[in-house]
Amino acid sequence: MGDLLYLYGLIPTSEATHPLPSVKGFDGEHEIFMLPNEDVTAIVCHLDHAAYSEETISDKINNDMEWLQEKAFHHHETVQQLAKQYTIVPLKFCTLYKNEESLRETVNKNKTKLKETFELLDGNEEWNLKIYCDDEQIKQQVSESNPVIKAKREEISVLPRGRQFFEKKKMDELINQELEDEKNRFCEDIHEKLKSVSLYGSIKKTWGKDVTGRKEKMAWNSVFLLPSPNVETFLNNVEQYEGDFEEAGWKFEVSGPWPPYHFSSFS
Amino acid sequence: MTVRETIENKDIALIDILDVILDKGVAIKGDLIISIAGVDLVYLDLRVLISSVETLVQHKQGTRKIINSEQFDRDREALDHAAQPDEWSHQR
Repeated sequence: MGDLLYLYGLIPTSEATHPLPSVKGFDGEHEIFMLPNEDVTAIVCHLDHAAYSEETISDKINNDMEWLQEKAFHHHETVQQLAKQYTIVPLKFCTLYKNEESLRETVNKNKTKLKETFELLDGNEEWNLKIYCDDEQIKQQVSESNPVIKAKREEISVLPRGRQFFEKKKMDELINQELEDEKNRFCEDIHEKLKSVSLYGSIKKTWGKDVTGRKEKMAWNSVFLLPSPNVETFLNNVEQYEGDFEEAGWKFEVSGPWPPYHFSSFS
Repeated sequence: MTVRETIENKDIALIDILDVILDKGVAIKGDLIISIAGVDLVYLDLRVLISSVETLVQHKQGTRKIINSEQFDRDREALDHAAQPDEWSHQR
């Protein structure tokens, strides 16, 4: 038997009467099982400490893409499956404990916080929204109709020729800056509107094209915690924005429901 | 299908999963021996990042195909029979 514990998530013990799905653990051999600790039950699997040392895992994550793909998917699929059955506080990829005692101790220390989190998550769902845009298209609009740019153009047009040349060179920089401002304004506006049907909304880091592989740029990456009855309204709103702004170069990508990774962190 | 169902059934790329499971799960301090805080995704292979989960499932569950093809044969047999009622009636 392995002596490390891989922790997938924490659930209220009151819900633990529902049997666990039969799922193989992180190493593909040991089954996942419940580890009850008063009101909080941990869902874990054993892992051999020699094969899964901190060093080995870091090395695999950074150098073995196939391994990362397989294991990340395993983690996601397992937690997703659990989230369908239980109110769950999902743990980050590769959260390991040395032994049962250390896990119990940590759970005990966070007992109150966990109870509050379970209450917060019950009946709510996490959804992700990414907004992509065609920079060239939006740049064109900014260049044509942005009031700051317009004013600058007029200002330049009355300058002597020599000055005009230099000022025009600076224009491109100004347009790029206005483009970024415009994108942020647009996305913030959408974000605020969607927040009104959510309990919480939070903004995440955007990824570059080298990671998304898309020709459009990711302009916004955000997560929302939604009361289940509001999900439909949320999705309908996004669908409407899609229709309204597609021609202007905006694309919306929603995914969910996710296990509530973003709304169950402890401070 | 509702909008919700369509979205739920959509393929999810590895990048979307990593975006979630590496970014912000719960970080319980204590005897936690490993926490992979910032994997620099930029250095990872793009082809794998944008590969969808479905591809991986199919790859992993190669055994399922056998069941599927057996099922397919059974279904086809049933369809063949259903499509030939005239021949049977002639035989009778």
